[in-house]
Amino acid sequence: MDLAIRAVALFCFVYLITRIIGRRELSSLEPFDLILLIVMGDAIQQGLTQDDYSVTGALIVIGTFAILQVLVSYLSFRFPRLRPALDGEPIVVVQDGKAIEKNMKRERITVEEVLVEARQQQVASLDEIAWAVLETSGKISIIPKQ
Amino acid sequence: MAAIPDGIVLKRHRDLVGRAKDAWIRRALLLLVGVVPLLALFNVFGQRPSVTTARSAKADLELYAPGHLRGGLLWEARFTISAHRDVKDAVLELDKGWLEGMTMNTIEPSPIGEGSNDGKLVLDLGHVPSGRRHILFVQFQVNPTNVGRRPQDVRLYDGKTLLATIHRQVTVFP
Repeated sequence: MDLAIRAVALFCFVYLITRIIGRRELSSLEPFDLILLIVMGDAIQQGLTQDDYSVTGALIVIGTFAILQVLVSYLSFRFPRLRPALDGEPIVVVQDGKAIEKNMKRERITVEEVLVEARQQQVASLDEIAWAVLETSGKISIIPKQ
Repeated sequence: MAAIPDGIVLKRHRDLVGRAKDAWIRRALLLLVGVVPLLALFNVFGQRPSVTTARSAKADLELYAPGHLRGGLLWEARFTISAHRDVKDAVLELDKGWLEGMTMNTIEPSPIGEGSNDGKLVLDLGHVPSGRRHILFVQFQVNPTNVGRRPQDVRLYDGKTLLATIHRQVTVFP
C-alpha cells in the first residue's frame, strides 16, 4: 500500500512540475536537460521504491503509474473543460510575419527560437510565417504563407 | 490575413482572453514548489542534529540527535552523561519511539546489559566516576515505512533512582 501511495504522490508532483515549469523548457533536450532528466528520474526512483528491490514492488509502481496515466488521459478526453488544466492550450506567437511580444514574453520564447524552428521547417524568415503556434507539447508549429 | 489554422480560436489562443489568471496560477504553484527546498534549508525536514540537556545534581544528560528525519536516512544519536558525583550504575531508558520503525546499526561502547521496562529499552552503562563523562554513540537508519511522530524520551537513572529526563519527539517525513 505504501508503494502505491508514494507512486500516486510522486505522479501528481511530477505532473504538476511538468505543467508549471513551462512547455519550452520541457520540449528542448539540450545536453544539460538530458542530464537533469536522468538525475530527476533517479531522485524519483529513490523516493518511490526506496529499499524495495522486489518484482512485486516494481509491478505495483508501474501499475499505479499506468492507471494514473490512463486516468488523466481519460479525464482530458471525457471532460473538455479539464483539458486546459491537464494538457494546456496552444498559444499563437507569430501572426502574418509579426511576433506577438506579449505571448512570447509569457512563454519565455525569443524570436531566435521561433526562427530556429522555422528553419527546421524550411521557412527562411519571419516574414514568410503566416502562423507560429506554441503547442501544448512545447513544439512550435510553423505555417508558412502561401 | 492567412486563414486561421483549425483548432485555433484567436480570442483564446492569441488574445488570451480568459487566460490572464493562468500565468499567475502557474507562478503561484511554482512558488509553492520552491517553498519546499526553502523550508529544507531551515531544517524543517531534518536532519540537522540539535543538543538537548537535562541537568541534575548528580549528573547531566546531553542528547545530540536530529528531531526531524526522512525515510531511509542514516543518523546518529549521541548520549553524554557527565557525572558531577559518582554514578554507580548509570542506566539509560529509551522510549520505544527510538526503535519502532528504526534499524539500530550499531551501539558503541556496548552497554554491559540490556533489558526492557514496560516496552522501553533499558541500557545498563555501568559505573561513571565523578568528574568523568560517558559517551554513548548509537547509529540508526529510518525504515522507509516509518512515517509520523514518535515519542523519544530519554531517562537517566542511577540504579533505580531517576536522575534526569529529556522529553522529545521525532518526526519522520516520508
